[in-house]
Amino acid sequence: MESRVITITSGKGGVGKTTTTANIGTALAMQGKKVAVVDSDIGLRNLDAILGLENRIVYDLVDVVEGQCRLRQALIKDKRLPELYLLPAAQTRDKNAVNSVQMEQLCQHLRAEFDFVVIDSPAGIEQGFRNAIVGADEIIIVANPEMASVRDADRIIGLVEAAGKPEPRLIVNRLRAEMTRRGDMMDVADVLEVLGIDLLGIVPEDALIVVSTNKGEPIVYDKRSRAGRAFLNAAQRIIGEEVPIDEVTEVPSLLERLRRLVGFGPALAEKRVRS
Amino acid sequence: MGIFEFITGRKKPSPGALAKERLKVALVQDRMKVNPELLELIKSDLLTAISRRLDIDEQHVEILLAREDRWDKLKAEVPIKRQKISFEWDPPAHTTAVTGLRGKVTVEVEEDDDSG
Repeated sequence: MESRVITITSGKGGVGKTTTTANIGTALAMQGKKVAVVDSDIGLRNLDAILGLENRIVYDLVDVVEGQCRLRQALIKDKRLPELYLLPAAQTRDKNAVNSVQMEQLCQHLRAEFDFVVIDSPAGIEQGFRNAIVGADEIIIVANPEMASVRDADRIIGLVEAAGKPEPRLIVNRLRAEMTRRGDMMDVADVLEVLGIDLLGIVPEDALIVVSTNKGEPIVYDKRSRAGRAFLNAAQRIIGEEVPIDEVTEVPSLLERLRRLVGFGPALAEKRVRS
Repeated sequence: MGIFEFITGRKKPSPGALAKERLKVALVQDRMKVNPELLELIKSDLLTAISRRLDIDEQHVEILLAREDRWDKLKAEVPIKRQKISFEWDPPAHTTAVTGLRGKVTVEVEEDDDSG
C-alpha cells in the first residue's frame, strides 16, 4: 500500500487540531493501519498528553532531524495499539529549530515505515505551519463554526493552494446542533458555502472530550461518545470507505424537548452525556 | 413578531446568519486585499461616472463587497433622485456618417410616480 502523509491544520489555535490528530491517528490504527502521529508544534507539545504518552518521551523530533538519535529511538509505541506510534515535539526548543528541508526528509523516512503519517500542525501561518505541510500529500483543515476560525481556515486554504498541495478537506469541529437549529450559530452548510472545499466530517461539541483528555485516552475508544463516533467515521472516509455524513441530523427526541420545555434542560442534557 | 420586525417589516437576521454575512464580506476583503479606503475611491469614481448621466442621490449610495454563488462581487446601490432624467447621446467622432441620430433624449418622470 502507498503510504499517505496527512497534515491536520487550522490557522486559528484552540479549534481542536491536536484532538483531531490524536483521534484520527488512533482510529486509523484501530482499522489495522500502521500509523505514526507527529507533533510538529515545537516548543508547545501536547499531542503526547492527549494520547497519554507524556511520561515516556526520551527523544523528540528535533533530536531526530539533528541526528542526535535514530528515528526508531524517538518513536513512542502506543499503550494499547501495537501499530500506533508517536513522534513527539521538542519542548525546550523554539519553533525555528527545524527547517522545511529537514521536515520533508523526515516525512520521507516515516513514509517508508508507516501506512499513514498524521502530522499535527502548530497554529499560525509561520515557519512551523510551513514545515507541517511541506511533506504532506493531503491537508485536513479543522474549523469551528464561528467567524474567526472560518476566516483563518480560508487563509490556510489559500496558503495550501500556493504551496502546490491538493485542495484540503474540512472537518467542522465543536458543532453545537441546538444552537445551529435555533439560528444562533452558523451551520455546516454555511461554512461549506463560504470556504468552498469538501467536507470530511462533522464533530459535535461533546463534554466527554474533556474527560478523555484528562484521562489521556482518545475519545474514539469511547463508544458512547458522539464526537468519538464522528472521528471514527472521518477516519473511515480517509481510508476510502463510504460512510454517509449524517452526524448533523441527530435531533433531540420529543421527550427530551418536552423536558427542556418544562425546565430540566441543562441538568438532564448533562446526564445524557454521561449515561 | 419582535419589535424589530414590527418596525422595519423585516425579519431580524439570526446571529448565525449575521455571522455568515459578516464573514463573507471580511473574506472578500481579505482575498482581494481591498480595504475600506480603496472602496471609497471606487465609490467616488463610480459616482463621477454615473452622475454624468443620471441625477443620483450621492448621500445614499452604498457600495460593498460580497460573496454569492462562489463569486466575489462588488455590489453598488445607487438611488436615483426623482427628477427629470435626461441624457445626451453623442455618437463617437468616427461615426459621422450617421449624423441623423445625434440628438437629445429626455425622460420625464412624474413626481408622484412610484416607478421613479
